[in-house]
Amino acid sequence: MEQAQAQQGMVPALPDLFDFAGERVRLRSAKCNSCGTYFFPESHAQHRSGCSREGVEKVLLNNRGKLASWTIEHYMCPPPFKTSANIAPYGIGLVEFPEGIQVAGLIMESNLDVLKIGQDVETITYTLYKNDEGQDVVTWAFRVLKQA
Amino acid sequence: MREVSIVGVGLHPWGKFKDKTFVEIGTVAIANALKDADVEWKDIQAIFSGIYIYGGNAGHISGQYLESVFGETGIPVVNVYNACATGSAAIRMAYNSIAAGETDTALAVGVDISPEGFLSAKSDNPKQDRDVLRWRMTGMPNPVYWALECRKRMAKYGTTDEDLARVKVVLSQYGSKNPNARYKKTYTLEEVANSLMVCDPLRLLEVCATSDGAAAVILSAAPAAIRKANRPVKIAATTMGSAIYGDPTLRISALSAPARAEAPLLSESYSASQQAYKKAGIGPEDIDVLELPDNSSWHYLQYLETCGFCGEGEAEKMLRDGQTQIGGKVAVCPSGGFSSFGEAIGAQAIWQVVEASNQLRGRCGERQVPDAKVAMAQTYGLMGNSGTTILKI
Repeated sequence: MEQAQAQQGMVPALPDLFDFAGERVRLRSAKCNSCGTYFFPESHAQHRSGCSREGVEKVLLNNRGKLASWTIEHYMCPPPFKTSANIAPYGIGLVEFPEGIQVAGLIMESNLDVLKIGQDVETITYTLYKNDEGQDVVTWAFRVLKQA
Repeated sequence: MREVSIVGVGLHPWGKFKDKTFVEIGTVAIANALKDADVEWKDIQAIFSGIYIYGGNAGHISGQYLESVFGETGIPVVNVYNACATGSAAIRMAYNSIAAGETDTALAVGVDISPEGFLSAKSDNPKQDRDVLRWRMTGMPNPVYWALECRKRMAKYGTTDEDLARVKVVLSQYGSKNPNARYKKTYTLEEVANSLMVCDPLRLLEVCATSDGAAAVILSAAPAAIRKANRPVKIAATTMGSAIYGDPTLRISALSAPARAEAPLLSESYSASQQAYKKAGIGPEDIDVLELPDNSSWHYLQYLETCGFCGEGEAEKMLRDGQTQIGGKVAVCPSGGFSSFGEAIGAQAIWQVVEASNQLRGRCGERQVPDAKVAMAQTYGLMGNSGTTILKI
């Protein structure tokens, strides 16, 4: 899967976190079918106490969710956050997915002046920088839909 | 279990000391504690030392290096790390050692010399060190986490920018009167509200700095030590709590949280404080002095509710009505708080206990809470770390 993605000229900054092979970007989660918990990242197990921990399957989260919270970071994050340019001020959102999990990520391609809890967002890729091979090194981000 | 008392406390001032070593500043704190307690080094029977995470291999065995300064005696030396609740862990282990009868007198110490600016990742190994992800993938330093919770709180309870500013105003009044404080300036609402925005809605004066500092407490159950001590303070409870499944707080370092709350916000702190109330046989209404972890103005408000000092959504009113000031329902952070000191990770929880015990011993001058009999020190640590210490005199 990641080979196909690399052929798009994009590589993830770290592996196994999100899928962008298809039309829509989707975060890679795992669901425990015994206790019903969703994990993100997929390897961050957080079972309900007493769970047998059996029946964990990898799943892709819905592309879309709702903004559960947001902030605007006015100071550039220190390394190891690496971007091709200073992007401050930048938005960070906490998005609630229909699966019942909230996930954090950058807010991009959105008007930061009109962010509101409850806005519909979609998951996208965001290019952090270009690597030595000329590929876009990407992470996931959230774009607010239907903004003024 | 035996009753355990604090017989002496010591601090190294809070500030920036990049030319000093963690051993030098830890030594100052320990020496001050020995002097305060009038205890000799040979009477210390165990050392519980906070791991100094910026000191590599040596920092991970901070206790051994500190013991070496005063004299190696073969006693148990344990090094412990629980994020910003590290000091709580050290105190709890010292307490348990004495209460169980393993020792009569023990030392708990914490030190920190922080890097400049924001704290950052500590390894470049994302596979083992999951903390690396929130830096590399989402550019999320610690204040982002507080801002996200604060924004939720504003939407839910109508917290205003003025409420957030008022926290700093109140804390700075006390910091200005604390000779140990790093920041002694008092602020008006306008000055705080006009300070630079860091992570919306939190402004520069609404988030604490990082500081260097060291703190030590000597605990004892030995009758001779207690007799010699200058107003010993009893430890009614000292606990540690971890997170509870279903806690919707986005914990620092995590990238996700459950959407549906099945546990309280800051569940690790709720757990630690509930255990402490139960062990001490009291409730929040019995607390005269509360040192809570005011990493930000959000923390100040949220912790009042998490620890049961008011109902959900009522913290803003408690603050606005002056009920968190000396003379109010409970004196909150009469030390001046993290706001006036900055945070020194490994030392902070011990510093809180030092400040709380100073109140019970009547040493606080203009900041003295009249007739203070019961004090509580509550910590906040990333990824489900917390500890509570309740003191009585």
